[in-house]
Amino acid sequence: MDLIIGMDLGVFIAWIGTLLAAILCVLYGLYYQFIKKSDEKKRPAKSKRQDKKHKEDR
Amino acid sequence: MDILLFVISIVLFSSVFIFLGYLGYKKTKTAEDYFVAGRTMGPLVIAFSYGATFISAVALIGFSGIASVYGHSILWLAFLNIFVGIFIAFVFYGFRTRKMGLSLKAMTLPELLGNRFNSVKLQQVSGLIIGVFMVAYTSAVFLAISSLFQVTFGIPYWICVVIFTLIVGVYLIVGGLYAVMWTHAVQGIVMLIGMIILTVGIYAMLGGIGPAHEAAAGLTTEMLKSIGSPAATQAPNGLTSMPPFLSQPFMMVLTLIFGVGIGVLAQPQLIVRYLTAKNEKALRLAIPYGGIFILIMTFTAFSIGPLCNVLMYQNNIMYPTKLVAGVVTANPDAVIPTIINALFPTWFILIFLFAILAAAMSTAAALFHTAGAAIGRDVYEKSVKKKFSPEKSIFITRIATFAIVIATLIITLNPFDVVAYMTAFFFGLMACTFLAPYTLMLYWKKTNRTGVWIGMLGGFLFTMAWYILIYFKTAPKIIGAPLIGNYIINMLDPIFIGLPLSFLLTILFSIIMKQDKEEETIMKKSFENI
Repeated sequence: MDLIIGMDLGVFIAWIGTLLAAILCVLYGLYYQFIKKSDEKKRPAKSKRQDKKHKEDR
Repeated sequence: MDILLFVISIVLFSSVFIFLGYLGYKKTKTAEDYFVAGRTMGPLVIAFSYGATFISAVALIGFSGIASVYGHSILWLAFLNIFVGIFIAFVFYGFRTRKMGLSLKAMTLPELLGNRFNSVKLQQVSGLIIGVFMVAYTSAVFLAISSLFQVTFGIPYWICVVIFTLIVGVYLIVGGLYAVMWTHAVQGIVMLIGMIILTVGIYAMLGGIGPAHEAAAGLTTEMLKSIGSPAATQAPNGLTSMPPFLSQPFMMVLTLIFGVGIGVLAQPQLIVRYLTAKNEKALRLAIPYGGIFILIMTFTAFSIGPLCNVLMYQNNIMYPTKLVAGVVTANPDAVIPTIINALFPTWFILIFLFAILAAAMSTAAALFHTAGAAIGRDVYEKSVKKKFSPEKSIFITRIATFAIVIATLIITLNPFDVVAYMTAFFFGLMACTFLAPYTLMLYWKKTNRTGVWIGMLGGFLFTMAWYILIYFKTAPKIIGAPLIGNYIINMLDPIFIGLPLSFLLTILFSIIMKQDKEEETIMKKSFENI
């Protein structure tokens, strides 16, 4: 059977899959660090509604 | 190796931890500080603490040894360690656990379950299961590392056990989770350095990744037999190929991969790390650090294990053996120490030993802390029907942790068979007992107290019965022979049946029995921020 970097297909998939899983973790972190706005900065919908109601009351 | 060098190194090593324990003590003012590090931890410390807790000395030395027997097919476990153990764990469990923990003011897994389902008994029983089995597991961690140091330095086993247990016990009891997590960061760095040098060294000796793997693939059964390697029979398709489907080696790899790879999601000592995050962003950013940490730990450990066979063959080193009941058998645990002692310089032997010691101490500290909290806060405090002040609560847990440290010390000095079985049970048992109630608690609003009780106890009892009566490793030692002779069944990790069973029971009884008014109110509160 042909080997890929000295490994058979089943082992190679595990090998490359491990590296890809680590890359996925890194990309996830980069996405939340630099692209997506922080969840903490978003105000909860409930408090926005409360603010609106408060303004209307005034 | 020079014993004086060992003494100087261990004094320096432990001084850093004791100092961090003192800093933790100064910072610990409230129960929240002691149990969840004040919920103030940042991404790097969370990632290192999670990783250092997850990866014990057993994972590094034991699994490298297992990889030397079954070959690179064990890399599937490295994949699951990162994809499930980090990515799935943080994304699908971490954020919700943290939010629910805040809503319900919970600081341990049993407390989270107890508060969510309005049941003190649920909290106590969960705490008891965790406390009892963790003592055995921690004992196994100290047993392994003390044996390694005894072999390397010639220091009596009991001295190693006493020194290591006391160092961990002191900084943990004094400094609480602050100390544990800060020391994890230091220990994690030592582990990283040790594993990187080891891996680069081994691949460099064999000419790089491709040539190293090709050399491993080129080892024939006769070559492996000539060095006494069990891979000659256990890796029938070669060290870099998957074993034949449903063969005994295949079942062995399968049970290892899923038992540990999925079981990680329900480990109470890991779950508590989510509760320490200062905000959701800290958990999100812990994912890349955690992924890289586990990659460097497990991917490297599992990759170099099979390559040790090549190094042994090329350097005329025999596969290590040990005497079991008067019979000489292969000793995979000694593969990495053998290679390091034979082929690496003295300075690296010291670094590697301390990397392994760091791995053992970090796991043991996390286990002690979780077990102490389980017995002190979840069992004792809840059985005494009065409200304790935060100071008193910390004091009770410190006493409980001290008792657990002493119990572990006694058990490690006088290891008996039950401990070995309980350790073997640990990962599967935690998964089959807690994963279904924990997952459904986070995701399904209809989950109720009865469902959780039956799912939890059903999973627990099934797993215990499986290990005692059927599982190929434990049943022969407990009842003489597994009740089911077919290896495809008796080699299965209980997680394959126990986990679906636990999910089924929890869902079924949650549907049959409705939530009461109080449970419903708590459920709404717990999902408020999710």
